[in-house]
Order: sequence, then C-alpha cells, then structure tokens
Amino acid sequence: MTFIAADVNELALSIFGVVVALTLFVTYLASKRVSNATDFWAAGRGLTGVQNGFAIAGDYMSAASFLGIAGLIFLFGFDGFLYSVGFLVAFLTVLFLLGERMRNSGKYTIADVLSFRMKQRPARSAAALGTLSVAGFYLIAQMVGAGVLIQALVGIDFTLSVILTGAFMIIYIVMGGMLATSWVQIIKAVLLMTATIVLTLFVLGEVGWNPINLFTDARAESPEGQAYLEPGLFLSSPIDTVSLGLALVLGTAGLPHILMRFFTVPDAKAARSSVMWAVVLIGGFYVMTTALGFGARAILGSGAEEAVGTGGNLAAPLLAEEVGGGAGTVGGDLFLAIIAAVAFATILAVVAGLVISASGAVAHDVWSNVVRRGHDSEKEEVWVAKIAAVGIGAIAIAIAVIGGEGLNVSFMVGLAFAVAASAIFPALLLALTWRRFNTSGAVTGVLVGVISSIALVIISPTVWPGPDGEGGALGFYDLANPGIVSIPLGFIGCWLGTVLSREERAERSFDELYVRSETGLGAEVATGLTLTGRRTGARAAAVTTTLPYL
Amino acid sequence: MTQPHATPAGRGGAPTEEATPAGDHQSEIDWIAAERSPEFRELVKKKKAFVVPATIFFLAWYLGFILLAGYAPDFMGREFIADGLTVGYALALSQFVMVWGLAAWYLRKSDRVFDPLAKRAAERALESTRAPGEGRFERGAAPVTDEEVSRR
Repeated sequence: MTFIAADVNELALSIFGVVVALTLFVTYLASKRVSNATDFWAAGRGLTGVQNGFAIAGDYMSAASFLGIAGLIFLFGFDGFLYSVGFLVAFLTVLFLLGERMRNSGKYTIADVLSFRMKQRPARSAAALGTLSVAGFYLIAQMVGAGVLIQALVGIDFTLSVILTGAFMIIYIVMGGMLATSWVQIIKAVLLMTATIVLTLFVLGEVGWNPINLFTDARAESPEGQAYLEPGLFLSSPIDTVSLGLALVLGTAGLPHILMRFFTVPDAKAARSSVMWAVVLIGGFYVMTTALGFGARAILGSGAEEAVGTGGNLAAPLLAEEVGGGAGTVGGDLFLAIIAAVAFATILAVVAGLVISASGAVAHDVWSNVVRRGHDSEKEEVWVAKIAAVGIGAIAIAIAVIGGEGLNVSFMVGLAFAVAASAIFPALLLALTWRRFNTSGAVTGVLVGVISSIALVIISPTVWPGPDGEGGALGFYDLANPGIVSIPLGFIGCWLGTVLSREERAERSFDELYVRSETGLGAEVATGLTLTGRRTGARAAAVTTTLPYL
Repeated sequence: MTQPHATPAGRGGAPTEEATPAGDHQSEIDWIAAERSPEFRELVKKKKAFVVPATIFFLAWYLGFILLAGYAPDFMGREFIADGLTVGYALALSQFVMVWGLAAWYLRKSDRVFDPLAKRAAERALESTRAPGEGRFERGAAPVTDEEVSRR
C-alpha cells in the first residue's frame, strides 16, 4: 500500500466509495440503453428541461467554483465574489444568444452548427481545434486539481488520485456515453447543492442567523480590516479585472461541453427551461459562496491562512470540519469526509463532460467528416468516439502525472475561458446571425482566437512572474487575462477572413440555418431514450416535437 | 437533390465531398421563401426587439459593475444600509436578481409570444412547400427515425 499515505481518511474513502458506486450503477443502467450515435453523444435527446438544468449545473460548477471561489473569498474577500457573479451572468449570454439555436441547428457537436453552411473539412477542423483546446486546458487543470485535493482530503497519493479520476471518467463515457455522463452530472449537482445548503445553514447558525454578521465577523478576523470587504486585494489591476469579466461572460457561451448539453433535450423549449433551471441552481450556489467564503474567514479566522493551502482550496472543507464540531470529533470528521466526497463527485462530473465533448470533436468532426468524409458508418463513429475518449483520458492522466502537483494550472482555466470567448463564441454567433459569414471567416476567426489567447497567456506575468508584481515577457504588456485583447481579435479575424473571400453557397444556405435555428423546423428529433427505458410511439412523438416536421 | 438554392451556378466540375454542404440539409423545404414569409419576419422582429435590448442591458449592468470594482474601489467599499454590507456586495447581489429576472421574463415571453410565432412560421413554410404537389412528401409523414436522418 505504498500509494496510500498513512493518514488516509477511511471515512472519506467510504463515502467516496458510495458516491462512485452510485455513478457506476447509473453507468451500468445507461450502458444497456445506449445503442446509436444520438444516444451516445446526445443521450437520445430524451432529457427533460429539469434534468438537463441539473446536468448543466453539474457540468459547469467545477472544483474551481466550489473550493476555488470559497478559498479566494476566504483569502481576499470581495474580489473572490466577483468570480461568482461573472460565472452566473454568463448564462444570460447562453440563454439569449446560443442555447435554443444550438438545439435547433446542431446534431452532436458545436462544429455541426458552425459548419452547417460552410465547407465541411476546413470549418469542422477549425471547430475541432477550438473544442480540443478548450477541453484540453480545462481537463488538465481539473485532473491536477483532483490529484491535489484528493491527496489532501483523503490521503490517497497524487498519482493514484489522478489515475482513479481518469479511469472513472473513461468508464462513464465508454460504457454509458452522454446518458451516463448526464446522470453523473445530475447526481453531482444534487450532492453539491445539498452539501452547500447544509453547510450554509450551519454557518448562518454560527453567526446568529444574521447574514450581515458574516461580513462584520469576517472583517474583524482579517488583518486587512474594511479593505477585505472592498475590491482590489486579489485583482489589483482594474483593466485585468475587466478583461477577466469579459472572458467569463462570453467564454461560457463558447464552452463546448456546456453547449453540447443542449443537444440532449427534445426541443428548444426544453433547452430554454434547462437554462432557467441551471441559473436557479448555479445562482443559488454562487450566492451561498458568500457563506462559504466570508463564513470561513469569520469562523476559521486568519490563523487558518496557512492551513487552507495555495489558493485557499481547503477553506471550504476546513469550514465544514469546524462547523461539524471541529477536528477529531465525529461530526467534524463526517462533515469533512462528506465535503471531500462532494468535491470528488464535482470533479468527476466536469471531466466526464469535457472528455465527451472532446471525443465528439475527434470522432464526429475530425474522423467522420474530415478523414472519412462522411463515408463511415454510425457504428464506426461511436467506436472511434470510445477509442478517442480512452486516448484523451490517457493523455490527460499522463500530462497530469508527469507534470505532477507542482504543475501550475491556475492559468489553464482562465486560458480555457479565453479561448472559448475569443475563438468559439465569435465564430458560432456569426455563423448563426451574419449572412455574409463564410468558411474562411470561421477558420481565420478560430485560428486568431486560439493563437492570440495562447500567445498572450504565454507572454503574461502569470507565466513570467517578475519582481514586485511586475512581469511578463514584454514590458508593455502585463495582462494576466487576455480576453480584452483576444476577444476583439477573434471577431476581427472572423470579419477579415469573411470580407477577403466570397462564398455564395454559404450565403445562400443562410436562410436554411436562420429559419431552422429560430423555428426548430428541420431540427434533429429525439429517440425517446431515458435511463430506464425508451419512450415509444405516440409518447415519443409528443415529447419530441410540437411541429409536423418532415 | 432538387434544392433550388443549393445548386450553385457554374458548379460544373466534379463535385467533391468538400463542395457538398452538410448532410443534414433538408432540400424539401423552400427555405428562402420561409425566411421571407411575414410570419418568420414577425418572429424575428419581435424576438430581436426583446433580445437585443436585454443583451445590451445585462452586458452594461455587468460591465458597469466590473468597471466600478476595478476603478472605484472606494465607492464599492462604502456602507450600504447596514454596517458590513458594502455597495459593492449589494451591486453584486443585484446581478443575481437581474439574471433570474431577465431569464424568467424571457421564458414567459417565449411561451406567450415567440413560440406561437415560431410555430406559425414553421407551419407556413411547410404549407408553401407542400402546395405544388400533394403527396410528393409522403416520406415526411412517417416520423424520421434515427437511422433515416442522413449521416454526414
């Protein structure tokens, strides 16, 4: 048992076991149902709005949301809460601009929508590049985070933690596709919300049921005093703050694993209601990060700054231990173990969503449409997707293990959002709304967005830390968040590539995409798949379509 | 394929896979006529009249908040109503209320206005498509199974 440290937390390990067993049971049920490509990538388009709303929440709220934001608020006060706001407001972009249109226009991947009226091979390759960049950066960050957290909370060695996380993620996808992934995300959302509500109630109890006391107590415990309740402790450069805010609010609408979720519901109405459920859940959660973050400061005090670790990731688990009765008590141990298991479920749900979106880009876009030019069978496509999922999972595990816990991943989530906002969001939005937009515009826009985001992060002070907060490879450029530069660049790339070329077919078929995206006429139909069976006959028709589609 | 608008003039040469639009195109429907129908125009007009101002509003409200956080930390740190509650936190909470409010408003509007219009626009497109020769679209009467949905 060399992999398991001496101080392994057996209680946490057993709760882990229960959670994992539940997800594996769901995967087993799903594996008996998933039979074709629509089942595999879109869960047969049979999820209800409520189910998809929970799944979106489960897909979206990563360990960075749960542990990261609580930690940032604990350490830096108000600035941490700025992330909570940005992560939520982003969903209005999704709701107003992309959610329903994705459902009406697409099939399995965002490339279906982007390349709908374009030359398939270049447009799909570009979309796949965007998807794989976002999913790749996000995935590695999550895997390293998983290893660090599980090691700290449960006592399982970093390497083994990463391998276990990756292995479960691969099992969900290979066995149960999107149906299993969706239910893992639903389970995670229920666990996360329940744990957060309970923790919030305990914290409020500690401060006399007056939420204002959270702030006054936290201020009293912070050496910064009133400044702890003001902006500026963490995000000291205003322009950087704006840049981050832009990337969050537009980037979410370009996250392939979130957009892919809209293919899992029967129609646009369900897509819309799933966003409503998602904002209720995600918003409720982010409001409660106040209690987690400020509460951790008020209850744990400044003495805990060492114990919460880098980035404050252990603030929420330590808070749970404290309100449960303190270290060494039964209640404290139990609370800590539950929060650790919830954090693990959180990571599993997010990485599964990321890998299935990446497998779609590899199998459906690159293999099926670019390499095989649409001549492969559906069976082959699903097989390639499973192989791709194993491959992507293995690469992510390898990078996380080789990079080790010292791998600086703090910029990777930011990079994922920057690429999503600068490369994917502009191209998708213009494909759906600008008649003149064409293949060369899409390819140029995605390339400019991806390259500028990565290049700007590489020369940023995050990668080249200098003395006294100065840094960066170039003296004049000191932004940690590239969004404010790279998002306009992405749009300019789309525009420039478009006006420099003429593609009449792309313009002519705009009418089809436009009418389809707005009315749902011609949209993909559901197969009526559910976790426990398949809706058949009239019932399937009733849930799939309100229109006499062809 | 009898897709009137998808037969580029002067395509002439051997059409490669590259030149074929995505496989999910449905040539049975006259999409250009559908796009020009008064029903569709009304849907798009009404939807834009809500979505465009709503998007500008939420982006302005959010970016205004971020700009204040960046450039006016003193203002954001002022006391609001009670000691400990800052203007910044109150404005942050207003963002949550804005998201829930706008989302609920949009859903209501969609159910009452946009969905019925979208349904009418789609029905109109199907009617005008079927008009030239009834029975030409028998295939469409049966629900399309997954296998029939053309593969790309």
